[in-house]
Amino acid sequence: MNTEKIITLENVVKRFKVGDGEFTALKDINLNFDKGEFAGLVGPSGSGKTTLLNIIGSLDSPTEGTATVMGKSISELSHKESALLRNHHIGFIFQVYNLLPVYTVYENVEFALLLQNHSAEERKKAVMDALDWVGIADMANKKPAKLSGGEGQRVAIARAMVKKPQILLADEPTANLDAENAHAILQTMKSLNKELDTTFLFSTHDEKVMKYMDRIIHLRDGSVEKDEIINSKSSSK
Amino acid sequence: MKQAFKLAYRNLMGAGLRTWLNVSVLSFSFVVIVFYNGLIDGWNKQARRDTIEWETGNGHLVHKDFDAFDPFTILDGHGNISQIEDKNLSPVLVRQASIYPDGRMMTVALKGINPLQNALKLPTSKLDTACSEVPILIGQNMARSSGLNKGDIVLLQWKDKNGTFDAANAVVADVFKTTVPTVDGGQIYISIKKLWDLTGLQNEASFLIANDQYVNTQTDQWIYKDQDELLITLDNIIATERISGSILYILLMLIALLAIFDTQVLSIFRRQKEIGTYMALGMTKLQVIKLFTVEGLMYSIFAMLVGCIWGIPVLNYFARNGIPYPVENMDDFGISISEIMYPIYGFKLIIGTVIAVVISATIVSYLPARKIARMDAVDAIKGKLQ
Repeated sequence: MNTEKIITLENVVKRFKVGDGEFTALKDINLNFDKGEFAGLVGPSGSGKTTLLNIIGSLDSPTEGTATVMGKSISELSHKESALLRNHHIGFIFQVYNLLPVYTVYENVEFALLLQNHSAEERKKAVMDALDWVGIADMANKKPAKLSGGEGQRVAIARAMVKKPQILLADEPTANLDAENAHAILQTMKSLNKELDTTFLFSTHDEKVMKYMDRIIHLRDGSVEKDEIINSKSSSK
Repeated sequence: MKQAFKLAYRNLMGAGLRTWLNVSVLSFSFVVIVFYNGLIDGWNKQARRDTIEWETGNGHLVHKDFDAFDPFTILDGHGNISQIEDKNLSPVLVRQASIYPDGRMMTVALKGINPLQNALKLPTSKLDTACSEVPILIGQNMARSSGLNKGDIVLLQWKDKNGTFDAANAVVADVFKTTVPTVDGGQIYISIKKLWDLTGLQNEASFLIANDQYVNTQTDQWIYKDQDELLITLDNIIATERISGSILYILLMLIALLAIFDTQVLSIFRRQKEIGTYMALGMTKLQVIKLFTVEGLMYSIFAMLVGCIWGIPVLNYFARNGIPYPVENMDDFGISISEIMYPIYGFKLIIGTVIAVVISATIVSYLPARKIARMDAVDAIKGKLQ
């Protein structure tokens, strides 16, 4: 069992300015995630799931407390350093896929590798491998507008996985998918988690998704309500 | 930077029609700017060449009291040329005179010139004709305004050196065609020897025209004015034309650049989710700004290429065949203007225009792209307007 800590959250608080006042989105969050976990942040809308993912993904930083990702404190990272962290170690999957509309499937998946200055040959192999993982290699030349919801989300997974990140953050990845597609997507993610030992962290309020999780963290009003270990591979704080 | 160009290329290609509309507008401006400047350059070159061939020669040795732009200097602005024995100089004596075509009086400048001169293109050899009338030479504009044609006889009246009026019949020996209005309108050419005889001003001249072999022999009485000095009026008029032309191409550039600016401003709003995704995928804000700026720069590069594809044949056609420029009255222009204008596209002109278009397009792309630096990545991913 791998127990290497990859994400550590200590007393994390996040407040947003709302008009003249403040809204506290996260209240004193303390969590650890090990390498290779397949965990879900569960809770109703406004419970702080996405905010927490954004902080772990270094897109945002905590107002108080410390968020350490791969040994780096998010608050202390410069804009360039956090971009580098995302580029090399963190993959994102969004609810609405956020595919680049003018690029083909191939180019969308290739994008992250372009930023890493891989050679054209390396990129091609990695992109085709990633498209193979998610079973859409035959759609490489299609534009996102021509894809179904399930196919679009597969492209998003391939794009997030192509650089073989340490952490993959998925914000409501199945919210726009029907049950069949959601199942297929989660199965794909699960097998990638096993194959590549990537840490998967989901946010969801879909009950059906939860049965795939090894660990479920229940959030309510910005606080951890419950941290459930379903499978022994995961560990709590 | 190579990466920014690669991504910008993909974005522009992917944007399809929007890209090609901007590129079309910019390429049109580019070609029109090159064409218009080429036209001015062509005009300038033609006007200089024709003015040298028809009026200035290699320069003028002007009597100190004579000023070509001041009619009051005609009376006394002349001197004896016996001391100036240079075969490379052709004397011209200017006197005021009147002609009476169809009984109406017209004041003219009567210019005595050596029929054998070779400094100017004027067909003065036609003055070397023996006949009972005084042979004169006039230009097409003068012929039109006076109603005279070749072979017509007209009464010519002048004052001799003592101020006494005298008159004789003159015959139009030839009507020449020139693009230089200052040697045509209101002017009559006769043999200088004849003018000396008519006025009693033997061996007198107002100025002398130098040919290519002339070496400056300026004296106290005679002041040498070289081509540059004589063409200064022409240069000033061309410079004025260039300024008014620059207003046209500034307007054209503004329209084209506005299209790019508008596209960029819209892009920043419409592509917020895309910008957020770039950041989530690991691009820094600076890289995103660079990408958007390079997109604008690439519009101008595409515009150059598209402009070359359709512009080179069009510009080449006009350079070879010229542009007909019908002139009703050449005097209105004040300077030489040909009936067919041939644009000249110099290397300096093309490179200068390319640099101006590329730099301007890059700047107008960069200005709205700076807004990205103030964007919040989380809001951008959601496509939330900022």
